Amino acid sequence: MPQENLKLERAVEAIGKKGLDGLIVYSNGTCDILGAKNLFYFAEFRPLGPHNAAVISKSGEAVLLVEPEWDAARAKRFSWIKDVRGTADFIKTMPDLMDEFKLTRKVGIVAYKEMTEAVYKCIGKKADTETADNVIAEMAYNKTEKEVDIAREAGRITDKGFEALLKHARVGITEYELLAEIEFDMRRAGADDIFNFMSSEKQNFAMHSPTDKRLSPGDIVIAEITAAFEGQFIQLCKTVVLGRPDPVLAEKYDMLLQTLDASLGEIKPGIPASQISRSMNKVISDAGYAKYCYPPYMRARGHGIGVGSIAPGAVIDDDTEGILKTGQALVVHPNQFLPETGYLACGETVLVTDTGMERLSKTENKLYTIGV
Amino acid sequence: MMETLQPTLKRGRDVWDRINMTEMEFHLRVEKIREKMQKESIDCILLYGKGANEYGNPCYISNFAIKMPRGALVAIPLKGDITLIVDGFSRDQPAVKSVTWIDSIRSCRDVAQECLDLLKEQNLIPSTLGFAGLKELMPCPQFQSIINALGQCKIVDAQPIINKMRMVKSFREQDQIRRSSRIIQRAFDRVCSSPLSEMNERVLEATLDYIARMEGAEDIRILVARPMESGWTMRPAENRDISDGENVITYVAVAFERYWSEGIRTYAAGPSHFKEKTSEDAAALYEKILQMIKPGVAVTQVYKDALGEMQKSPMEYLPQYGLGQGIGLGPRELPRLTMESQDHFIENMCFTLRLALKDKENVSLMTGDTILLSKNHRELLTR
Repeated sequence: MPQENLKLERAVEAIGKKGLDGLIVYSNGTCDILGAKNLFYFAEFRPLGPHNAAVISKSGEAVLLVEPEWDAARAKRFSWIKDVRGTADFIKTMPDLMDEFKLTRKVGIVAYKEMTEAVYKCIGKKADTETADNVIAEMAYNKTEKEVDIAREAGRITDKGFEALLKHARVGITEYELLAEIEFDMRRAGADDIFNFMSSEKQNFAMHSPTDKRLSPGDIVIAEITAAFEGQFIQLCKTVVLGRPDPVLAEKYDMLLQTLDASLGEIKPGIPASQISRSMNKVISDAGYAKYCYPPYMRARGHGIGVGSIAPGAVIDDDTEGILKTGQALVVHPNQFLPETGYLACGETVLVTDTGMERLSKTENKLYTIGV
Repeated sequence: MMETLQPTLKRGRDVWDRINMTEMEFHLRVEKIREKMQKESIDCILLYGKGANEYGNPCYISNFAIKMPRGALVAIPLKGDITLIVDGFSRDQPAVKSVTWIDSIRSCRDVAQECLDLLKEQNLIPSTLGFAGLKELMPCPQFQSIINALGQCKIVDAQPIINKMRMVKSFREQDQIRRSSRIIQRAFDRVCSSPLSEMNERVLEATLDYIARMEGAEDIRILVARPMESGWTMRPAENRDISDGENVITYVAVAFERYWSEGIRTYAAGPSHFKEKTSEDAAALYEKILQMIKPGVAVTQVYKDALGEMQKSPMEYLPQYGLGQGIGLGPRELPRLTMESQDHFIENMCFTLRLALKDKENVSLMTGDTILLSKNHRELLTR
């Protein structure tokens, strides 16, 4: 059965189980990397306007409502939903659509948190509502073969981004010029969205948007390089030193590499996601840095990734609930603040497989150095 | 109305150049707002913004621009410290501090709850509160929680106060928009000098993005269209080659140090390079509409008169992308150049004027620029 029909079938199944008249999968046109891009995942169309939704009835009819009206042509080309309607006024059109699809008693809403009051009210005046984000989350965690191929391609683009960092990072270049160079290569390689942060100090505190700061000898460049391809994100966290690394830095980074290895070694279906975090925190704590494993120094040890951050969630820490399942993609990053070195970046994205995990990028995990 | 894909992250240069935008500029804005608050008996104004497009309200006072699809809020009490509340983590505070003059910065994951805590701490419940952007932009669960908790407060709509101020640009704001406009000019120049043999839509997009980023752009939005295809629409770039003889419409919007500009060109692909495609009829129509725009004239009047001119033109107007709108701390501001506008053109407004047209041979083109309106002059900043 084609994947799109599976999505519809599973949505209809969820509507039935929850006793709903239908489901509204909403998007305000933004993408938060720490949240699921529900509509993009479900409809396979990335909206650009302020209000968009897929409306699914309990009998399996589906319509994609797109604002602005002119974007419907693109939606028709990309989405598997055949009934695409453009509107210049979503808030006015949605209630009529709910009447047409007989969504008048109770509807499930996916992405309620993206709705403004006006959007919610236009739905709420027609039917009772309940949040139904879990419908898409359950559908999305297990990647199909096609989605895994897309993720691998995103991994290839992310590797290109890191290659560009190594090529262009040099004394005198500004942070913003360096990211422009990296992203030029990533875009030409096919990235349709990019999420890159960096910092370049002798001791970094956190990654941030690029500034006018010029790279200088001895700077430690930390970078989070994330490419999206057809909606799937893949992330790398790397550290590069301009010049010969201080022995303390080399030693501490080696500890992070051991931490990464230990946590990657834990990954297999059936283990709690929190085990990844616990395993990282153990290695770092054993080295004497227990207090630096937790806020205010560190927070997440990774997160689910795919079309945004999905199962096992936007945060993997010691308390994350959920068991790893085959087909989930995870960013695993023992990024760490240490008093001797500042904040260091180390991590990559992997796919949970039946027997363990598959790396989705090829970049080697090590402390990189660039001669000055 | 023009819309573009919103990036997951604003990835460009993020600095506060205190020469380009002085701290005094922000203090003058606060002073003006407090004068209005005094007049309207408002005890505290809350300015909310969200995401990569709608960050303008809090940024207008704080200079902080939101990088991700999250919220930020500035609370301006009639007297006392101004507070910036940012949806984010405490470790991000040094980066926030580096771009704002406000000392009181609070990071949180629920802006509404943090705002309520602040109002309680400052004994502003009960009081009269001015809301700007909360109802329109705040996620519904947060907005409902704030409304439910403020039953003892009188809430007034303060957005018109901010809108009126934001619509008219100070000299420093005009200069910022000139800077973003120059980036657009340079990006367009580069397109014309790039060899066509290496060009497809993705490379075109990457080149425009690269040039703008190297010039210091904070955010860039790009759309393309193939106006020779039936049913064409503006859209993000795709993996499609561009061949000799084809036309490509290119929309570019750039933000530099928070301030946006917009330009649209139609290019004809020649054997080796792109060349801007122009039309005398289109240029004449654009100029006629431009001449209608003067300080004091109602926006609706210009819109009506523009439609009248379009009917006389040999070219057919394609209305779906709109005629334009104000531009500044966001790609879309007031006034909107529509029939429904309540606004008048005012000296020192910056706005975009765009035209999508089709000729008798069914060939479409689009043109658009960012314009600064002075007393007797309309300056095309992106030409």
